Amino acid sequence: MSRRRRGAAPVARFFIVLNLVCVIVPIALIAVWAFADRWAWPDLLPQEFSLRGFSEVFSGRLGTGWPMILLSIGIALATAVLSTVVAALAARAMTLYRWRGRSLFSFSVILPFIIPSTVFAMGVQVLFIHAGIARTVPGVVLSHAIVALPYAIIIMSEVTRAAGTRLEDAARSLGAGTLATTVHVTIPALLPGILSSLSMCYIMSFSQYFLTLLIGGGSVRTFAVVLFPYLSSGDRTIAAAYGLTFIVITFAVFLIFELLLKRFGMKEERTLYG
Amino acid sequence: MRALSRKTKRAIVPYLLALPAAALILVFLYGVVNGVLQGFGIMPFLGRTEFTLEYYLEALTRSDLTSSILYSLYLAGVSSIIAVIGGVAIAACMTRARTGRFLRLVNVQIPIMTMHSLVALAVMFLFTGSGLVPRVLAAFGLVSDPSSFTSVVGSVSGWGIILVYAWKEIPFIAFSTVAIMASISDSLGEAAAMLGASPLRAFFGVTLPLCKGAIAKAFMVVFAFAFGSYEVPFLLGPTLPQAMPVLAYVEFQDPDIVNRCYAMALNGIMTLLCSLIALAYFAVLNRERKGGTR
Repeated sequence: MSRRRRGAAPVARFFIVLNLVCVIVPIALIAVWAFADRWAWPDLLPQEFSLRGFSEVFSGRLGTGWPMILLSIGIALATAVLSTVVAALAARAMTLYRWRGRSLFSFSVILPFIIPSTVFAMGVQVLFIHAGIARTVPGVVLSHAIVALPYAIIIMSEVTRAAGTRLEDAARSLGAGTLATTVHVTIPALLPGILSSLSMCYIMSFSQYFLTLLIGGGSVRTFAVVLFPYLSSGDRTIAAAYGLTFIVITFAVFLIFELLLKRFGMKEERTLYG
Repeated sequence: MRALSRKTKRAIVPYLLALPAAALILVFLYGVVNGVLQGFGIMPFLGRTEFTLEYYLEALTRSDLTSSILYSLYLAGVSSIIAVIGGVAIAACMTRARTGRFLRLVNVQIPIMTMHSLVALAVMFLFTGSGLVPRVLAAFGLVSDPSSFTSVVGSVSGWGIILVYAWKEIPFIAFSTVAIMASISDSLGEAAAMLGASPLRAFFGVTLPLCKGAIAKAFMVVFAFAFGSYEVPFLLGPTLPQAMPVLAYVEFQDPDIVNRCYAMALNGIMTLLCSLIALAYFAVLNRERKGGTR
Protein backbone atom coordinates (compact mmCIF):
# COMPACT_ATOMS: atom_id res chain seq x y z
CA MET A 1 0.00 0.00 0.00
CA SER A 2 2.65 2.50 0.96
CA ARG A 3 4.57 1.55 -2.16
CA ARG A 4 1.54 2.38 -4.27
CA ARG A 5 1.29 5.75 -2.55
CA ARG A 6 4.89 6.49 -3.37
CA GLY A 7 4.39 5.27 -6.94
CA ALA A 8 1.87 7.95 -7.85
CA ALA A 9 3.57 10.75 -5.92
CA PRO A 10 5.93 11.93 -8.73
CA VAL A 11 2.97 13.05 -10.84
CA ALA A 12 1.59 14.92 -7.86
CA ARG A 13 5.00 16.39 -7.14
CA PHE A 14 5.34 17.52 -10.76
CA PHE A 15 2.09 19.49 -10.53
CA ILE A 16 3.14 21.03 -7.23
CA VAL A 17 6.39 22.26 -8.81
CA LEU A 18 4.48 23.55 -11.85
CA ASN A 19 2.17 25.35 -9.45
CA LEU A 20 5.20 26.83 -7.66
CA VAL A 21 6.65 28.15 -10.93
CA CYS A 22 3.32 29.70 -11.91
CA VAL A 23 3.16 31.48 -8.55
CA ILE A 24 6.76 32.71 -8.55
CA VAL A 25 7.11 34.00 -12.15
CA PRO A 26 4.55 36.85 -12.01
CA ILE A 27 5.79 38.03 -8.60
CA ALA A 28 9.42 37.89 -9.76
CA LEU A 29 8.52 39.82 -12.92
CA ILE A 30 6.96 42.61 -10.88
CA ALA A 31 10.09 42.65 -8.68
CA VAL A 32 12.41 42.97 -11.71
CA TRP A 33 10.31 45.73 -13.32
CA ALA A 34 10.34 47.67 -10.03
CA PHE A 35 14.11 48.14 -10.39
CA ALA A 36 14.29 48.33 -14.19
CA ASP A 37 14.91 51.75 -15.60
CA ARG A 38 15.38 50.82 -19.24
CA TRP A 39 14.18 47.53 -20.66
CA ALA A 40 13.96 47.86 -24.44
CA TRP A 41 12.51 45.30 -26.83
CA PRO A 42 13.52 42.52 -27.40
CA ASP A 43 16.04 42.02 -24.57
CA LEU A 44 15.19 39.39 -21.98
CA LEU A 45 16.83 41.41 -19.19
CA PRO A 46 16.69 45.13 -18.41
CA GLN A 47 19.57 47.25 -19.70
CA GLU A 48 19.62 49.67 -16.78
CA PHE A 49 18.48 49.45 -13.18
CA SER A 50 17.52 52.31 -10.88
CA LEU A 51 15.50 53.19 -7.80
CA ARG A 52 13.38 55.73 -9.68
CA GLY A 53 10.17 53.79 -8.97
CA PHE A 54 10.77 53.67 -5.24
CA SER A 55 11.75 57.31 -4.98
CA GLU A 56 8.34 58.01 -6.54
CA VAL A 57 6.55 55.76 -4.03
CA PHE A 58 8.32 57.34 -1.05
CA SER A 59 8.47 60.87 -2.44
CA GLY A 60 5.96 61.97 0.22
CA ARG A 61 4.16 64.01 -2.40
CA LEU A 62 0.36 64.25 -2.04
CA GLY A 63 -0.08 61.77 0.78
CA THR A 64 2.09 59.07 -0.71
CA GLY A 65 4.91 57.21 1.01
CA TRP A 66 4.88 56.43 4.71
CA PRO A 67 1.76 58.45 5.69
CA MET A 68 -0.25 56.52 3.09
CA ILE A 69 1.27 53.20 4.15
CA LEU A 70 0.61 53.82 7.84
CA LEU A 71 -2.96 54.95 7.11
CA SER A 72 -3.61 51.74 5.15
CA ILE A 73 -2.09 49.54 7.86
CA GLY A 74 -4.12 51.36 10.52
CA ILE A 75 -7.38 50.93 8.59
CA ALA A 76 -6.60 47.26 7.92
CA LEU A 77 -5.77 46.57 11.58
CA ALA A 78 -8.92 48.34 12.78
CA THR A 79 -10.98 46.36 10.26
CA ALA A 80 -9.35 43.09 11.31
CA VAL A 81 -10.03 43.72 15.01
CA LEU A 82 -13.61 44.91 14.43
CA SER A 83 -14.69 42.03 12.21
CA THR A 84 -12.88 39.41 14.28
CA VAL A 85 -14.47 40.55 17.56
CA VAL A 86 -17.92 40.76 15.98
CA ALA A 87 -17.41 37.37 14.33
CA ALA A 88 -16.15 35.73 17.55
CA LEU A 89 -19.35 36.76 19.36
CA ALA A 90 -21.57 35.74 16.45
CA ALA A 91 -19.80 32.40 16.08
CA ARG A 92 -20.44 31.68 19.75
CA ALA A 93 -24.13 32.38 19.32
CA MET A 94 -24.24 30.24 16.17
CA THR A 95 -22.38 27.19 17.45
CA LEU A 96 -23.01 26.98 21.21
CA TYR A 97 -26.64 28.10 21.58
CA ARG A 98 -29.99 27.03 20.19
CA TRP A 99 -32.26 29.97 19.53
CA ARG A 100 -35.08 31.07 17.29
CA GLY A 101 -33.78 32.74 14.14
CA ARG A 102 -30.41 31.03 14.26
CA SER A 103 -30.57 29.54 10.77
CA LEU A 104 -31.79 32.82 9.25
CA PHE A 105 -28.90 34.57 11.01
CA SER A 106 -26.36 31.98 9.83
CA PHE A 107 -27.56 32.51 6.28
CA SER A 108 -27.56 36.31 6.51
CA VAL A 109 -24.00 36.61 7.75
CA ILE A 110 -22.59 35.00 4.61
CA LEU A 111 -24.57 37.32 2.29
CA PRO A 112 -21.50 39.53 1.66
CA PHE A 113 -19.96 36.39 0.12
CA ILE A 114 -22.83 36.04 -2.32
CA ILE A 115 -23.71 39.60 -3.26
CA PRO A 116 -20.81 41.47 -4.92
CA SER A 117 -19.24 44.27 -2.92
CA THR A 118 -19.54 46.60 -5.93
CA VAL A 119 -23.35 46.35 -5.60
CA PHE A 120 -23.12 47.06 -1.88
CA ALA A 121 -20.71 49.96 -2.41
CA MET A 122 -22.84 51.79 -4.97
CA GLY A 123 -26.02 51.23 -2.96
CA VAL A 124 -24.72 52.21 0.45
CA GLN A 125 -22.84 55.36 -0.59
CA VAL A 126 -25.93 57.53 -0.09
CA LEU A 127 -26.47 56.16 3.43
CA PHE A 128 -22.87 56.87 4.40
CA ILE A 129 -23.10 60.40 3.02
CA HIS A 130 -26.30 61.06 5.01
CA ALA A 131 -24.81 59.53 8.15
CA GLY A 132 -21.78 61.79 7.76
CA ILE A 133 -19.29 58.92 7.67
CA ALA A 134 -18.56 58.99 3.94
CA ARG A 135 -15.05 60.28 3.21
CA THR A 136 -13.95 59.42 6.78
CA VAL A 137 -11.66 56.70 8.11
CA PRO A 138 -14.35 55.19 10.43
CA GLY A 139 -16.72 54.93 7.47
CA VAL A 140 -14.11 53.10 5.41
CA VAL A 141 -13.31 50.75 8.34
CA LEU A 142 -17.02 49.99 8.80
CA SER A 143 -17.51 49.17 5.11
CA HIS A 144 -14.39 46.97 5.04
CA ALA A 145 -15.48 45.14 8.20
CA ILE A 146 -18.82 44.31 6.57
CA VAL A 147 -17.28 42.60 3.53
CA ALA A 148 -14.64 40.85 5.66
CA LEU A 149 -17.24 39.54 8.13
CA PRO A 150 -18.13 36.25 6.35
CA TYR A 151 -14.46 35.20 6.23
CA ALA A 152 -14.06 35.96 9.94
CA ILE A 153 -17.29 34.17 10.84
CA ILE A 154 -16.38 31.01 8.93
CA ILE A 155 -12.95 30.83 10.60
CA MET A 156 -14.29 31.66 14.08
CA SER A 157 -17.21 29.19 13.82
CA GLU A 158 -14.77 26.42 13.03
CA VAL A 159 -12.57 27.03 16.10
CA THR A 160 -15.49 27.77 18.40
CA ARG A 161 -17.13 24.48 17.44
CA ALA A 162 -13.84 22.62 17.88
CA ALA A 163 -13.18 24.20 21.29
CA GLY A 164 -16.68 23.47 22.61
CA THR A 165 -17.61 24.34 26.18
CA ARG A 166 -15.95 21.50 28.11
CA LEU A 167 -13.01 23.54 29.37
CA GLU A 168 -15.20 26.54 30.17
CA ASP A 169 -17.58 24.34 32.13
CA ALA A 170 -14.67 22.81 34.00
CA ALA A 171 -13.27 26.25 34.86
CA ARG A 172 -16.67 27.43 36.04
CA SER A 173 -17.25 24.34 38.16
CA LEU A 174 -13.90 25.08 39.81
CA GLY A 175 -15.27 28.49 40.73
CA ALA A 176 -13.85 30.77 38.03
CA GLY A 177 -15.95 33.84 37.23
CA THR A 178 -17.04 34.95 33.78
CA LEU A 179 -14.12 37.32 33.29
CA ALA A 180 -11.51 34.82 34.49
CA THR A 181 -12.98 32.07 32.32
CA THR A 182 -12.98 34.33 29.26
CA VAL A 183 -9.43 35.55 29.76
CA HIS A 184 -7.80 32.30 30.88
CA VAL A 185 -9.82 29.63 29.09
CA THR A 186 -11.95 30.84 26.18
CA ILE A 187 -9.54 33.27 24.50
CA PRO A 188 -6.49 30.95 24.67
CA ALA A 189 -8.57 28.12 23.17
CA LEU A 190 -9.74 30.36 20.33
CA LEU A 191 -6.41 32.10 19.76
CA PRO A 192 -5.34 30.23 16.59
CA GLY A 193 -8.67 31.05 14.97
CA ILE A 194 -8.51 34.64 16.17
CA LEU A 195 -5.08 35.05 14.56
CA SER A 196 -6.16 33.44 11.25
CA SER A 197 -9.23 35.63 11.18
CA LEU A 198 -7.23 38.79 11.93
CA SER A 199 -4.78 37.94 9.18
CA MET A 200 -7.49 37.18 6.60
CA CYS A 201 -9.48 40.34 7.37
CA TYR A 202 -6.30 42.39 7.33
CA ILE A 203 -5.53 41.21 3.80
CA MET A 204 -9.14 41.82 2.71
CA SER A 205 -9.05 45.40 3.93
CA PHE A 206 -5.54 46.21 2.75
CA SER A 207 -6.32 45.22 -0.84
CA GLN A 208 -9.81 46.76 -1.02
CA TYR A 209 -9.92 49.24 -3.90
CA PHE A 210 -13.48 49.79 -5.14
CA LEU A 211 -15.17 50.04 -1.76
CA THR A 212 -12.49 52.39 -0.42
CA LEU A 213 -12.82 54.57 -3.51
CA LEU A 214 -16.60 54.88 -3.20
CA ILE A 215 -16.84 55.26 0.58
CA GLY A 216 -13.56 57.15 1.03
CA GLY A 217 -14.48 59.37 -1.91
CA GLY A 218 -10.88 60.23 -2.69
CA SER A 219 -10.16 61.74 0.74
CA VAL A 220 -9.20 58.45 2.39
CA ARG A 221 -6.25 57.57 0.18
CA THR A 222 -5.14 54.06 1.10
CA PHE A 223 -2.37 52.18 -0.65
CA ALA A 224 -4.80 50.27 -2.89
CA VAL A 225 -6.47 53.52 -3.99
CA VAL A 226 -3.20 55.37 -4.68
CA LEU A 227 -1.68 52.40 -6.51
CA PHE A 228 -4.56 51.65 -8.87
CA PRO A 229 -4.23 54.51 -11.41
CA TYR A 230 -0.53 53.66 -11.89
CA LEU A 231 -1.44 50.16 -13.07
CA SER A 232 -2.82 51.45 -16.36
CA SER A 233 -0.63 54.56 -16.56
CA GLY A 234 2.02 53.11 -18.85
CA ASP A 235 4.98 53.79 -16.55
CA ARG A 236 5.81 50.21 -15.74
CA THR A 237 8.65 51.01 -13.34
CA ILE A 238 6.48 53.10 -11.02
CA ALA A 239 3.56 50.66 -11.24
CA ALA A 240 5.88 47.77 -10.37
CA ALA A 241 7.55 49.70 -7.53
CA TYR A 242 4.13 50.37 -5.98
CA GLY A 243 3.19 46.74 -6.55
CA LEU A 244 6.36 45.35 -4.99
CA THR A 245 6.10 47.65 -1.95
CA PHE A 246 2.51 46.52 -1.53
CA ILE A 247 3.45 42.84 -1.75
CA VAL A 248 6.36 43.21 0.70
CA ILE A 249 4.20 44.97 3.29
CA THR A 250 1.42 42.38 2.99
CA PHE A 251 3.88 39.50 3.33
CA ALA A 252 5.62 41.12 6.30
CA VAL A 253 2.36 41.51 8.18
CA PHE A 254 1.33 37.97 7.23
CA LEU A 255 4.63 36.60 8.55
CA ILE A 256 4.09 38.39 11.85
CA PHE A 257 0.70 36.68 12.16
CA GLU A 258 2.29 33.35 11.16
CA LEU A 259 4.96 33.69 13.84
CA LEU A 260 2.34 34.52 16.45
CA LEU A 261 0.35 31.50 15.28
CA LYS A 262 3.39 29.31 15.62
CA ARG A 263 4.10 30.67 19.07
CA PHE A 264 0.55 30.32 20.40
CA GLY A 265 -1.29 27.66 18.49
CA MET A 266 0.76 24.96 16.85
CA LYS A 267 -1.88 22.26 17.15
CA GLU A 268 -4.99 23.92 15.82
CA GLU A 269 -3.08 25.65 13.08
CA ARG A 270 -2.38 22.29 11.49
CA THR A 271 -6.06 21.62 11.16
CA LEU A 272 -6.53 24.93 9.36
CA TYR A 273 -3.85 24.28 6.79
CA GLY A 274 -4.40 20.56 6.56
CA MET B 1 -35.98 32.51 41.36
CA ARG B 2 -32.28 32.45 40.67
CA ALA B 3 -32.63 29.37 38.49
CA LEU B 4 -35.31 31.13 36.48
CA SER B 5 -33.22 34.23 35.98
CA ARG B 6 -30.31 32.10 34.85
CA LYS B 7 -32.61 30.42 32.35
CA THR B 8 -33.81 33.76 31.02
CA LYS B 9 -30.24 34.92 30.84
CA ARG B 10 -29.33 31.87 28.83
CA ALA B 11 -32.18 32.64 26.43
CA ILE B 12 -31.10 36.25 25.93
CA VAL B 13 -27.34 35.66 25.62
CA PRO B 14 -27.29 34.34 22.01
CA TYR B 15 -29.24 37.38 20.80
CA LEU B 16 -26.81 39.73 22.51
CA LEU B 17 -23.88 37.85 21.00
CA ALA B 18 -25.43 38.00 17.53
CA LEU B 19 -26.38 41.67 17.77
CA PRO B 20 -23.17 43.35 16.47
CA ALA B 21 -22.96 41.03 13.46
CA ALA B 22 -26.66 41.56 12.77
CA ALA B 23 -26.07 45.33 12.81
CA LEU B 24 -23.27 45.05 10.24
CA ILE B 25 -25.38 42.78 8.04
CA LEU B 26 -28.29 45.23 8.25
CA VAL B 27 -26.04 47.99 6.90
CA PHE B 28 -25.03 45.61 4.11
CA LEU B 29 -28.65 44.76 3.31
CA TYR B 30 -29.64 48.42 3.43
CA GLY B 31 -27.00 49.14 0.78
CA VAL B 32 -28.09 46.30 -1.47
CA VAL B 33 -31.85 46.93 -1.12
CA ASN B 34 -31.40 50.66 -1.55
CA GLY B 35 -29.51 49.98 -4.78
CA VAL B 36 -32.14 47.57 -6.07
CA LEU B 37 -34.89 50.12 -5.30
CA GLN B 38 -33.03 52.88 -7.15
CA GLY B 39 -33.15 50.56 -10.15
CA PHE B 40 -36.94 50.83 -9.89
CA GLY B 41 -36.59 54.60 -10.01
CA ILE B 42 -37.14 55.10 -6.28
CA MET B 43 -34.73 57.75 -4.99
CA PRO B 44 -36.30 59.48 -1.98
CA PHE B 45 -33.20 61.65 -1.49
CA LEU B 46 -34.00 63.23 -4.87
CA GLY B 47 -37.73 63.32 -4.28
CA ARG B 48 -38.46 60.49 -6.73
CA THR B 49 -40.75 57.86 -5.29
CA GLU B 50 -42.56 56.53 -8.35
CA PHE B 51 -42.11 52.85 -9.06
CA THR B 52 -41.13 51.97 -12.63
CA LEU B 53 -39.89 48.85 -14.38
CA GLU B 54 -38.46 50.93 -17.22
CA TYR B 55 -34.79 50.63 -16.23
CA TYR B 56 -34.85 46.92 -15.56
CA LEU B 57 -36.68 46.30 -18.84
CA GLU B 58 -34.16 48.40 -20.69
CA ALA B 59 -31.29 46.62 -18.96
CA LEU B 60 -32.71 43.38 -20.32
CA THR B 61 -33.33 44.72 -23.84
CA ARG B 62 -30.70 47.41 -24.57
CA SER B 63 -28.07 45.49 -26.52
CA ASP B 64 -24.98 46.90 -24.75
CA LEU B 65 -26.50 46.04 -21.39
CA THR B 66 -27.56 42.50 -22.30
CA SER B 67 -24.23 41.75 -23.92
CA SER B 68 -22.51 42.95 -20.75
CA ILE B 69 -24.66 40.60 -18.62
CA LEU B 70 -23.77 37.66 -20.85
CA TYR B 71 -20.10 38.64 -20.91
CA SER B 72 -19.91 38.74 -17.11
CA LEU B 73 -21.66 35.39 -16.82
CA TYR B 74 -19.17 33.96 -19.31
CA LEU B 75 -16.14 35.38 -17.46
CA ALA B 76 -17.33 34.22 -14.05
CA GLY B 77 -18.47 30.82 -15.31
CA VAL B 78 -15.27 29.94 -17.14
CA SER B 79 -13.02 31.34 -14.38
CA SER B 80 -14.76 29.49 -11.58
CA ILE B 81 -14.90 26.17 -13.47
CA ILE B 82 -11.16 26.41 -14.18
CA ALA B 83 -10.55 27.42 -10.56
CA VAL B 84 -12.50 24.46 -9.18
CA ILE B 85 -10.81 21.90 -11.45
CA GLY B 86 -7.36 23.35 -10.84
CA GLY B 87 -7.93 23.90 -7.13
CA VAL B 88 -9.19 20.38 -6.50
CA ALA B 89 -6.28 18.98 -8.53
CA ILE B 90 -3.77 20.99 -6.50
CA ALA B 91 -5.41 19.98 -3.22
CA ALA B 92 -5.32 16.33 -4.33
CA CYS B 93 -1.66 16.60 -5.34
CA MET B 94 -0.82 18.22 -2.00
CA THR B 95 -2.63 15.47 -0.12
CA ARG B 96 -0.97 12.82 -2.23
CA ALA B 97 2.58 14.18 -2.16
CA ARG B 98 2.20 15.18 1.49
CA THR B 99 3.56 18.60 0.63
CA GLY B 100 5.48 20.33 3.39
CA ARG B 101 4.58 23.53 5.17
CA PHE B 102 6.86 25.79 3.15
CA LEU B 103 5.48 24.77 -0.25
CA ARG B 104 1.93 25.14 1.00
CA LEU B 105 2.78 28.59 2.25
CA VAL B 106 4.22 29.66 -1.10
CA ASN B 107 1.78 27.87 -3.40
CA VAL B 108 -1.36 28.79 -1.53
CA GLN B 109 -0.77 31.77 0.74
CA ILE B 110 1.10 33.99 -1.72
CA PRO B 111 -1.71 33.98 -4.31
CA ILE B 112 -4.32 34.50 -1.58
CA MET B 113 -2.39 37.52 -0.31
CA THR B 114 -1.60 39.14 -3.65
CA MET B 115 -4.15 41.71 -4.71
CA HIS B 116 -6.13 40.98 -7.92
CA SER B 117 -5.06 44.17 -9.65
CA LEU B 118 -1.36 43.33 -9.10
CA VAL B 119 -1.91 39.96 -10.76
CA ALA B 120 -3.48 41.88 -13.65
CA LEU B 121 -0.31 44.00 -13.73
CA ALA B 122 1.84 40.87 -13.94
CA VAL B 123 -0.35 39.52 -16.75
CA MET B 124 0.23 42.79 -18.62
CA PHE B 125 3.99 42.47 -18.05
CA LEU B 126 3.82 38.97 -19.53
CA PHE B 127 1.37 39.19 -22.41
CA THR B 128 1.28 42.70 -23.86
CA GLY B 129 3.16 43.51 -27.09
CA SER B 130 6.41 44.30 -25.29
CA GLY B 131 5.84 41.79 -22.50
CA LEU B 132 8.08 38.94 -21.46
CA VAL B 133 6.33 36.23 -23.46
CA PRO B 134 6.68 37.96 -26.88
CA ARG B 135 10.31 38.71 -25.94
CA VAL B 136 10.93 35.02 -25.32
CA LEU B 137 9.12 34.17 -28.56
CA ALA B 138 11.27 36.76 -30.36
CA ALA B 139 14.39 35.11 -28.98
CA PHE B 140 13.27 31.99 -30.80
CA GLY B 141 12.44 34.00 -33.92
CA LEU B 142 8.70 33.44 -33.61
CA VAL B 143 7.78 37.10 -33.22
CA SER B 144 9.44 39.91 -35.16
CA ASP B 145 8.28 43.04 -33.34
CA PRO B 146 5.96 44.03 -30.45
CA SER B 147 3.06 44.90 -32.75
CA SER B 148 2.91 41.41 -34.22
CA PHE B 149 1.95 39.91 -30.84
CA THR B 150 -1.74 40.23 -29.96
CA SER B 151 -1.90 42.00 -26.62
CA VAL B 152 -3.87 40.52 -23.74
CA VAL B 153 -5.36 43.93 -22.91
CA GLY B 154 -8.73 44.45 -24.56
CA SER B 155 -9.05 40.93 -25.90
CA VAL B 156 -12.75 40.13 -26.33
CA SER B 157 -12.20 36.51 -25.33
CA GLY B 158 -11.18 37.85 -21.90
CA TRP B 159 -8.48 35.23 -21.48
CA GLY B 160 -6.29 37.63 -19.50
CA ILE B 161 -9.11 38.24 -17.02
CA ILE B 162 -9.73 34.50 -16.75
CA LEU B 163 -6.00 33.94 -16.25
CA VAL B 164 -5.92 36.41 -13.33
CA TYR B 165 -8.93 34.77 -11.66
CA ALA B 166 -7.43 31.31 -12.23
CA TRP B 167 -4.13 32.39 -10.67
CA LYS B 168 -5.92 33.86 -7.65
CA GLU B 169 -8.74 31.37 -7.14
CA ILE B 170 -7.12 27.99 -7.88
CA PRO B 171 -5.09 28.34 -4.65
CA PHE B 172 -8.18 29.67 -2.85
CA ILE B 173 -10.14 26.52 -3.79
CA ALA B 174 -7.14 24.38 -2.80
CA PHE B 175 -6.98 26.27 0.52
CA SER B 176 -10.68 25.70 1.19
CA THR B 177 -10.64 21.99 0.38
CA VAL B 178 -7.18 20.67 1.31
CA ALA B 179 -7.89 20.22 5.05
CA ILE B 180 -11.10 18.23 4.63
CA MET B 181 -9.63 16.31 1.71
CA ALA B 182 -6.57 15.28 3.71
CA SER B 183 -8.68 14.04 6.61
CA ILE B 184 -11.05 12.07 4.35
CA SER B 185 -8.20 10.63 2.32
CA ASP B 186 -6.41 9.57 5.51
CA SER B 187 -9.41 7.68 6.83
CA LEU B 188 -11.91 6.58 4.18
CA GLY B 189 -9.64 6.88 1.13
CA GLU B 190 -7.13 4.69 2.90
CA ALA B 191 -9.88 2.17 3.69
CA ALA B 192 -10.91 2.08 0.02
CA ALA B 193 -7.28 1.51 -0.98
CA MET B 194 -7.07 -1.27 1.60
CA LEU B 195 -10.06 -2.92 -0.05
CA GLY B 196 -8.19 -2.86 -3.34
CA ALA B 197 -9.32 0.41 -4.99
CA SER B 198 -6.67 2.06 -7.16
CA PRO B 199 -5.56 5.52 -5.96
CA LEU B 200 -7.52 7.23 -8.75
CA ARG B 201 -10.62 5.18 -8.02
CA ALA B 202 -10.32 5.84 -4.30
CA PHE B 203 -10.05 9.55 -5.07
CA PHE B 204 -12.95 9.81 -7.53
CA GLY B 205 -15.14 7.24 -5.79
CA VAL B 206 -14.66 8.18 -2.14
CA THR B 207 -12.66 11.32 -1.38
CA LEU B 208 -14.08 13.65 -4.04
CA PRO B 209 -17.81 12.93 -3.44
CA LEU B 210 -17.30 13.57 0.28
CA CYS B 211 -15.65 16.93 -0.41
CA LYS B 212 -18.57 18.04 -2.60
CA GLY B 213 -19.99 20.40 0.01
CA ALA B 214 -16.72 22.24 0.58
CA ILE B 215 -16.10 22.44 -3.17
CA ALA B 216 -19.60 23.76 -3.90
CA LYS B 217 -19.20 26.45 -1.25
CA ALA B 218 -15.83 27.54 -2.64
CA PHE B 219 -17.25 27.56 -6.20
CA MET B 220 -20.05 29.85 -5.12
CA VAL B 221 -17.66 32.30 -3.47
CA VAL B 222 -15.35 32.36 -6.49
CA PHE B 223 -18.20 32.74 -8.99
CA ALA B 224 -19.78 35.61 -7.08
CA PHE B 225 -16.42 37.31 -6.77
CA ALA B 226 -15.44 36.97 -10.45
CA PHE B 227 -18.96 38.04 -11.43
CA GLY B 228 -19.05 41.15 -9.31
CA SER B 229 -15.56 42.57 -9.12
CA TYR B 230 -14.47 45.68 -10.89
CA GLU B 231 -10.67 45.93 -10.95
CA VAL B 232 -9.62 43.08 -13.24
CA PRO B 233 -12.09 43.61 -16.13
CA PHE B 234 -11.44 47.37 -15.87
CA LEU B 235 -7.70 46.84 -16.36
CA LEU B 236 -7.74 44.00 -18.90
CA GLY B 237 -11.19 43.99 -20.45
CA PRO B 238 -12.28 45.09 -23.95
CA THR B 239 -14.12 48.35 -24.65
CA LEU B 240 -17.11 46.29 -25.76
CA PRO B 241 -18.68 44.32 -24.22
CA GLN B 242 -17.87 45.64 -20.76
CA ALA B 243 -18.19 43.48 -17.67
CA MET B 244 -21.29 44.33 -15.61
CA PRO B 245 -19.51 45.98 -12.64
CA VAL B 246 -17.44 48.15 -15.00
CA LEU B 247 -20.49 49.24 -17.00
CA ALA B 248 -22.50 49.75 -13.80
CA TYR B 249 -19.79 52.03 -12.40
CA VAL B 250 -19.60 54.03 -15.65
CA GLU B 251 -23.37 54.59 -15.51
CA PHE B 252 -23.19 55.27 -11.76
CA GLN B 253 -20.66 58.05 -12.25
CA ASP B 254 -22.61 59.71 -15.06
CA PRO B 255 -23.67 63.23 -14.10
CA ASP B 256 -27.14 62.50 -15.51
CA ILE B 257 -28.95 60.96 -12.54
CA VAL B 258 -31.13 58.77 -14.80
CA ASN B 259 -28.04 56.76 -15.66
CA ARG B 260 -27.68 55.92 -12.00
CA CYS B 261 -30.95 54.01 -12.35
CA TYR B 262 -29.40 51.90 -15.12
CA ALA B 263 -26.40 51.22 -12.89
CA MET B 264 -28.70 50.11 -10.10
CA ALA B 265 -30.80 47.98 -12.46
CA LEU B 266 -27.60 46.22 -13.51
CA ASN B 267 -26.70 45.79 -9.84
CA GLY B 268 -30.16 44.39 -9.15
CA ILE B 269 -29.69 41.82 -11.90
CA MET B 270 -26.25 40.92 -10.50
CA THR B 271 -27.80 40.48 -7.04
CA LEU B 272 -30.55 38.26 -8.46
CA LEU B 273 -28.13 36.04 -10.40
CA CYS B 274 -25.80 35.65 -7.42
CA SER B 275 -28.76 34.84 -5.16
CA LEU B 276 -29.86 32.13 -7.61
CA ILE B 277 -26.39 30.58 -7.45
CA ALA B 278 -26.59 30.70 -3.66
CA LEU B 279 -30.04 29.07 -3.64
CA ALA B 280 -28.77 26.30 -5.90
CA TYR B 281 -25.90 25.80 -3.48
CA PHE B 282 -28.21 25.55 -0.47
CA ALA B 283 -30.47 23.14 -2.36
CA VAL B 284 -27.49 20.88 -3.05
CA LEU B 285 -26.38 21.17 0.57
CA ASN B 286 -29.84 20.31 1.91
CA ARG B 287 -30.29 17.33 -0.38
CA GLU B 288 -26.93 16.07 0.71
CA ARG B 289 -27.83 16.47 4.38
CA LYS B 290 -31.18 14.68 3.90
CA GLY B 291 -29.56 11.95 1.85
CA GLY B 292 -27.40 11.29 4.89
CA THR B 293 -24.20 10.91 2.87
CA ARG B 294 -22.25 12.32 5.78
